[in-house]
Amino acid sequence: MNIIAEPQNEIKKERPKMRYLETDRPATPFAREHIKTVGAITVDSPRITCRNVNVYYGTKQAIDDVSLDIGRNAVIALIGPSGCGKSTFIRCLNRMNDTVIGCRVSGRIGIDEQNIYDPQMDVVLLRAQVGMVFQKPNPFPKSIYDNIAYGPRIHGLAANKLELDEIVETSLRKAGLWDEVKDNLAHPGTGLSGGQQQRLCIARTIAVGPEVILMDEPCSALDPIATARIEQLIDELREQFTIVIVTHSMQQAARVSQRTAYFHLGKLVEVGETAQLFTNPMHQLTEDYITGRFG
Amino acid sequence: MNDPPPIGGAPEMSRKSYETVRRGLAKRRAAERRFRCYGLSAILLGLTSLALLFASIVSNGYTAFRQTFVGLDIYFDAELIDPQGNRSPESLATGDYGGLVKRALSKVFPAVSSRSEKRALYSLVSTAAAIELQRRAVREPSLIGKTVKVWLPADDDVDMYVKGHIRRGAGESARRLNDRQLAWIDELIEQGNIEQRFNKTFFTAGDSREPEQAGIWGAAAGSFFTLVVTLALSFPIGIAAAIYLEEFAPKNRWTDLIEVNINNLAAVPSIVFGLLGLAVFINFFDLPRSSPLVGGLVLTFMTLPTIIIAARAAIKSVPPSIREAALGIGASSMQTVFHHVLPLAMPGMLTGAIIGMARALGESAPLLMIGMVAFIVDIPHSVMDPATVLPVQVYLWADSPERGFVERTSAAIIVLLAFLITMNALAVYLRSRFERRW
Ligand SMILES: Nc1ncnc2c1ncn2[C@@H]1O[C@H](COP(=O)(O)OP(=O)(O)OP(=O)(O)O)[C@@H](O)[C@H]1O
Ligand SMILES: [Mg+2]
Repeated sequence: MNIIAEPQNEIKKERPKMRYLETDRPATPFAREHIKTVGAITVDSPRITCRNVNVYYGTKQAIDDVSLDIGRNAVIALIGPSGCGKSTFIRCLNRMNDTVIGCRVSGRIGIDEQNIYDPQMDVVLLRAQVGMVFQKPNPFPKSIYDNIAYGPRIHGLAANKLELDEIVETSLRKAGLWDEVKDNLAHPGTGLSGGQQQRLCIARTIAVGPEVILMDEPCSALDPIATARIEQLIDELREQFTIVIVTHSMQQAARVSQRTAYFHLGKLVEVGETAQLFTNPMHQLTEDYITGRFG
Repeated sequence: MNDPPPIGGAPEMSRKSYETVRRGLAKRRAAERRFRCYGLSAILLGLTSLALLFASIVSNGYTAFRQTFVGLDIYFDAELIDPQGNRSPESLATGDYGGLVKRALSKVFPAVSSRSEKRALYSLVSTAAAIELQRRAVREPSLIGKTVKVWLPADDDVDMYVKGHIRRGAGESARRLNDRQLAWIDELIEQGNIEQRFNKTFFTAGDSREPEQAGIWGAAAGSFFTLVVTLALSFPIGIAAAIYLEEFAPKNRWTDLIEVNINNLAAVPSIVFGLLGLAVFINFFDLPRSSPLVGGLVLTFMTLPTIIIAARAAIKSVPPSIREAALGIGASSMQTVFHHVLPLAMPGMLTGAIIGMARALGESAPLLMIGMVAFIVDIPHSVMDPATVLPVQVYLWADSPERGFVERTSAAIIVLLAFLITMNALAVYLRSRFERRW
């Protein structure tokens, strides 16, 4: 993998700004309070805007003053060392953190100018708009058909059985699973292979017709072939959906995303075009991480 | 042993550790074998005591399922049993059926003449015989005026003698039958007029002072009504409480306090619940004493903690990923609970409910407090009728001096166990219906 190419000259000149010289290095280099986000946090016509988001688990701060825009019909990858708060951040976007006892979120997260943490906001509506795929495939212990049909059923998206059948088929097609399961839709979803289960979960999310899909390490339990299928799928889904993906694989981030955000100790360190971030990181921490010096 | 040889050319270090591991191996295996032996002997011990228990109960109790009958040629004399002479049920109800039995007995033993001897002779047949003859006459009035051979229940002393529980050897004063009576019985046996038949009374009658007329049905019906009340109240209440506490309640000091209290209640001696029931339901709410309703309410108190604890454990064991999956596609918390969590937790909840019910079925102490220990002959037909329950019936019979109640006590225990096994079988069936494979 040669994504870490030789830095180009102009940018190289900018870089020392973010570096600490030996002489004025703080006692705790890159401690949380010294980290400031570099790169363009805003995009034109964003789908989601996050401003000054803080998340606390009890007294422990897991996300510290993160501001970030998420663009329409694009894939943004969140990377960073384990425990840096990627999952915490992504779970803020559909308020899955509400289910965690002792978790507190402050700041503003807006979807199309609607603040999702507004007390008036209905989480059911929000989660129908912002779907989520989890790290471990978690199909319901029901048939493949019922797994997909559950969302449309509870939201009343299909007027009759025919429409529901159609939603199931198109969702499975979009998730690239239709050909494998079309003859045994009545089989339990839990009987599929790991990769198939994960695609089933993606289909289940798509079936509700969300605008945004959040994926928290969707491939971490899969083999390279299943991973490649899902990456291809993400690329196809991008045309219709806005996708936020958390990944530990920098290659994967480079392959599927247009923008990448690097988190460290709950801080957003750097965000930028994927190609630029991997070839030319502006922040010392980002460079250390992507070159494998730590993390 | 066939341990694989060390890998060729292993460095010194791993060679050494290989040797160490190999030397320790025998010890480890011995430890494992020892542990298996302990486990096996524990299971054997348990099974043996269970087998002994069953064997002793069944061997004591099975004779109660058969009952001694005396065959007598009964002349249905219109003069005695139909005083109005019109064969109407009203008239037949006032007849002297005991007289029919006495006449029939006198005919078999014409030599008996003195008053006290006659009394001794007549006491060989149960007083229930008259009632049975009356029922027969009302059902078949055509019998009146005819002589028919009828099998009538013998007195419990006769029953005991025929079953071999009364020995001739001991002196007359040591047994409940005198020598004359034994001679009569022997003669009846010789004539083929004494037989053991299936004891229908035991399964259809209520309690009685006379062992041969006592049955388990009243207590079984009482137990049934009591358990219906208990189940109908404790299952929904327990599950609702468990769901609320697990899924909706905020986690704070109050819910912690409630949790601690529920756990404590599960350990409260059951008789305390009986006192509570007496004070609250009978003295304060004025509900009928000895009724299955009050019994069920008291047992509900007693089983609720068990059911709540089991249901909470079942809910907790549902993987959080299923909850997240449902919430993640926009199911409300209600829908998540009822569509996903509850079906998966159902088998565990049912197990808890059955354990609670089994305990309630075997409970007698709290029911003594609310008067379910009364001597009740009538079979209860609703939850408001006075009733007793199986374990209390066992207790009452075990307390009775008549020899006939000894076998009936064991038989009642058999019925109680059968009840229990049926309930457990139902639970296993329901569990397998609800169980989902992953
Ligand atoms: N439910 C929770 N209660 C308390 N602390 C939590 C909880 N979940 C996460 N944390 C803490 O918040 C921080 C961020 O966790 P998070 O799961 O977001 O990390 P992550 O970046 O997703 O890590 P990974 O890559 O390992 O998944 C961690 O320090 C973690 O210990
Ligand atoms: Mg994570």
